[in-house]
Amino acid sequence: MKLEYVLYGFGILFCIAGVGYLAAEYVRYLSDIGKICSLLLTVGLFAFLGKYFEGLGW
Amino acid sequence: MKRKHRNLYLYLTLACFVGIILIFIFDGFMGVYDSLEITSGEFPQTIEPDRWPEDEKYPYYSTVNVQQGGSIAFTYEVQNRTFSAYSAELEVTAWHEQQQLAVLLSQAVKVGSFNEGQMDWTLDTAEFVPAELPENQRYDLSVRITRGDIERNIVVYIRGSSYPPPDIVVPRPSN
Repeated sequence: MKLEYVLYGFGILFCIAGVGYLAAEYVRYLSDIGKICSLLLTVGLFAFLGKYFEGLGW
Repeated sequence: MKRKHRNLYLYLTLACFVGIILIFIFDGFMGVYDSLEITSGEFPQTIEPDRWPEDEKYPYYSTVNVQQGGSIAFTYEVQNRTFSAYSAELEVTAWHEQQQLAVLLSQAVKVGSFNEGQMDWTLDTAEFVPAELPENQRYDLSVRITRGDIERNIVVYIRGSSYPPPDIVVPRPSN
């Protein structure tokens, strides 16, 4: 059971690393206003995700 | 009620994610882009807008080969994907060993919103390669495109008239 969670953890980490790498590559082509909007939406994304997991009892 | 509230956060999370993706697509599409089509002999090549950053990273990444006495046709295209008209001064010059040889083109570029403009010019190598250039020797030129603050460089390799060397005839082995 614990091994499954370790594997889930690895999967999630690889997903975040992959998406982060692609975003870091592509963000160079964005304008300044696009970068700021993306940053604000990213902050909002993690904030709402945090609230969602809080609601789940995590 | 609490469950509905909880789902609202999930929907907002998804909305933020979709918003980021949309910004990436929209912002990537918008802007002023330029591409260059070079035709030398039977070998046309196009330098797409996403190739230019590589040229800035590795200077003079874009090259073209031509036989001595040949000419190269250039077609430069400016795509304006913005909500306002774009205008700039365009100057195309030929350089050799950091010395300007000639102005190939000089004109104002005016491109309407979500429209594209096209400029053509030809580089005749016979005008620039010295007549006393020994055979089999290479002569290099740079074509510099200056549009406002943006500068693009193309290196032109001019091959000597007898390059490549003639085929060597190998005798057939006798039976």
